[in-house]
Amino acid sequence: MYTITSDLDVRDMARGAVLLGSGGGGDPYVGELYLRNQLMEGRCPTIIKASELADDAFVVSIAGVGAPTVIVEHLVSTLTLLRLLEASEKFYGRKIDALISAEIGGVNSMFPLALGTRAGIPVIDGDGMGRAFPHLEMTTFGVYGCAATPSVLMDDSGNVVHVHTTTNRIAEDVVRSVCASLGSMIFGSFYPMSGRQVKQLTVHDTVTHTLEIGRRIRAARESQLDPVKGVLQFLDAPDEGRYARELFNGRITDVLHETRDGWHWGRVLISSGAGVEPEFRVEIQNEYLVARHHGRTVAIVPDLIAILDAESAEPLTAEMLAYGQRVRVIGYSAAPIMRRAECLKVFGPRLFGLDEDFRPVEELVAAP
Amino acid sequence: MSTAPPVLGVDVGGTNTDAVIMVGDNVIAAAKRSTTADVGEGLIEAVRAVLEAARMSPASLSTVMIGTTQFINAFVQRRDLTEVAAVRIGLPMTDGIPPMVGWPDDLIKVVGNHGYLVGGGSFYDGREYERLDTAALQQAARDIRAKNIRSIALTAVFAPVRPDIEQKAAEIILSVHPEADITLSSDVGGIGLVDRENAALINASLRQLSRKVVTSLRDALGRLGVNAPIYLSQNDGTLVSTTYATRFPIVTCSAGPTNSIRGAAFLTGLQDAIVMDIGGTTTDLGFLVRGFPRETATAHLIGGVRTNFRMPDVLSIALGGGTHVRGSADQVLLGPDSVGFELTRRALVFGGRDLTTTDIAVRAGQATIGDKSRVSSLDDRLVNAVLNRIHTQIEDGIDQMKTSSLPVPVILVGGGNILLSRPLRGTSKVHRPEHADVANAVGAAISMVSGRVDRLFDFAVGREKALEQAKEEARSAALAAGAEPESIEIVELTELPMTHMRTTAVQVKVRAVGRLRVGGAA
Repeated sequence: MYTITSDLDVRDMARGAVLLGSGGGGDPYVGELYLRNQLMEGRCPTIIKASELADDAFVVSIAGVGAPTVIVEHLVSTLTLLRLLEASEKFYGRKIDALISAEIGGVNSMFPLALGTRAGIPVIDGDGMGRAFPHLEMTTFGVYGCAATPSVLMDDSGNVVHVHTTTNRIAEDVVRSVCASLGSMIFGSFYPMSGRQVKQLTVHDTVTHTLEIGRRIRAARESQLDPVKGVLQFLDAPDEGRYARELFNGRITDVLHETRDGWHWGRVLISSGAGVEPEFRVEIQNEYLVARHHGRTVAIVPDLIAILDAESAEPLTAEMLAYGQRVRVIGYSAAPIMRRAECLKVFGPRLFGLDEDFRPVEELVAAP
Repeated sequence: MSTAPPVLGVDVGGTNTDAVIMVGDNVIAAAKRSTTADVGEGLIEAVRAVLEAARMSPASLSTVMIGTTQFINAFVQRRDLTEVAAVRIGLPMTDGIPPMVGWPDDLIKVVGNHGYLVGGGSFYDGREYERLDTAALQQAARDIRAKNIRSIALTAVFAPVRPDIEQKAAEIILSVHPEADITLSSDVGGIGLVDRENAALINASLRQLSRKVVTSLRDALGRLGVNAPIYLSQNDGTLVSTTYATRFPIVTCSAGPTNSIRGAAFLTGLQDAIVMDIGGTTTDLGFLVRGFPRETATAHLIGGVRTNFRMPDVLSIALGGGTHVRGSADQVLLGPDSVGFELTRRALVFGGRDLTTTDIAVRAGQATIGDKSRVSSLDDRLVNAVLNRIHTQIEDGIDQMKTSSLPVPVILVGGGNILLSRPLRGTSKVHRPEHADVANAVGAAISMVSGRVDRLFDFAVGREKALEQAKEEARSAALAAGAEPESIEIVELTELPMTHMRTTAVQVKVRAVGRLRVGGAA
């Protein structure tokens, strides 16, 4: 267990959360400001390891659902968060002992911390994705049998919707529809779990990971070291089953964005300047899905792809990419639990319409 | 011989006040004087000098156009700012992030921390989720009045979609607090509540100063006998009236680099180019698109405060004429430190002891300044290695600014242009125009007027129809700003669809510009 007491730590966590977002998940800026304000008011987030939970403890995920364009106007309401907590405890019929993030990449890394800090409830050091994904059902929680519902949804005006679906995939569709009816930004409690489940179904230590990544980038910048190398050295830890590789270093020569069926599609081309044709290509579907060098896959979902500003190592979301940026692309292994066969059936390459199987980034990069 | 009436263009910078007189497309005369603390005296000196050089009388000037960095400098240096109150119409939303979270402490100390949240606001589609809480608003206004604060920034959720909510709220505040001086967020920013509210607050804190500066400029010109209408340049290189500038000083904050870029463009006749201003300490690169500077796409910090305010996209490289040179031919170290304004004392060619990029340029025969003999012993290999490095850094900067891989022309202004002698990779031609040292005053003198729209449009009516409506709104705004109707054209159109939602709302940004109507704004 530890508490976050410094403004700098919150900013580091937000930066780390963008890197783990693999290009998606939304800008954590709103969540970052919320937490910084809580710190100013003297409240600090408490983070506990799953192993510190009692087996019969009760844990839920808190998440915001909505469009990035809307979040930046509606911001966050403390009243809504507290009401959601109250309504959830009433609905589930028991006190919530801890909160957990369903998605550590992007803005939803911050909302459990926001409510946890305000209400004095600890937040689990872990999440259900270890990154960002576009759908509610794409979690380790779901893969290993935890239902996303029953769930309580709430908007800032006090409208409450209870959702109880037969599958997590249907829950995704229903939640999205409710969101659209309520001004395109709602908060909800999902994946009610026991302490025992949390210990088994979670991608562990990811909250601390966001903090450490952000710190590494900042420290490397301040010490005039190459910040990208700094973060790579930290991420690449084979002893702990983590692999990170620099996949490419170049300049963006083209970015394509389009919105189809409510999702962000696109691709980015990156060139080293050596040849006429750009050698490197990353496909986007809300997140960075697959990276190919000369047409050969070098990293693929659920492994993470991070595009960093070449100088500052600032992680860039897909919306931030623009022609001419000097970038460095990093491939980072998803947590071992995320690479298991049963997980790949829920968020492997084929679920995103890619006609190839998952292979780990460390193998792809080493292959001739 | 042109028959166009003469216009006066002025740039009131932090160090120098530059003035040019132009007739049609010709620069008739130029003058450069030191900026003074009250800005008025420096202006009088520069204008008097340029009138003398042009042999013209003050009364013959038809229009005066002024660009100034006074407001941005004041905000960055935290001086001459007033205390402000932030009133936000948002409840039951937004209460978790009150106004000014994340602002630097030294700034809060000067402008105070007076935030008020009241009920009201709209969804992205314009529906009100809560009626404006009149009683709470009146209470806030009474409280602000009791604190003797006049400057207020007023921000409502999704105000770019429903500006009328802010307008109505302003009337209510004024009915309780008639002395209130209110900045509406919808007048200074687009989607993104925190950034827009920040812009409104910055503007509110600068209003008192802007009245003082504009009055000082007006009085100075009046004393000289200049009776022509006066305009100020705004960030996008178009003009606003002095009345508008006193209400929205933030729109003039970044006029300096913009005018420099546009002036350079004008002096060469180019519409699309990279403009490179090589000074003593840095090289600033801007990108000219259809005669206007390209603007930043991401959030922009002003004095440590994040805003989504439109700013020219300027890339600064730590490389200028005063940059220190260290190391050997095999390992050249360039800067990033510079001798800056002490160049004429510290560089080798001026009898100093610091090896600078200027010394290398003189040794290479690219410039004839100072005492050449003081650098004659410099190693040829070192000189060559430094020049290689300079050109590579500049070429990398050009590369970063480009929007396509096609070669672009480059316009070189600023005293540091002696550093470059070779063709630059990725460029088609390097231009070094006459009057490049007063390019910013020229930029002010050729300013046009503009109108803008940045809000969500419903594409359910059809994309073409929705875009046409957006363009029409921008044209009307340009007309209201004083544009000649026939000269108005749409220079920018951006569509940003809402992701994660199956909706037909699309954020559309449109900008229309036109020539200033003789006689000015309506």
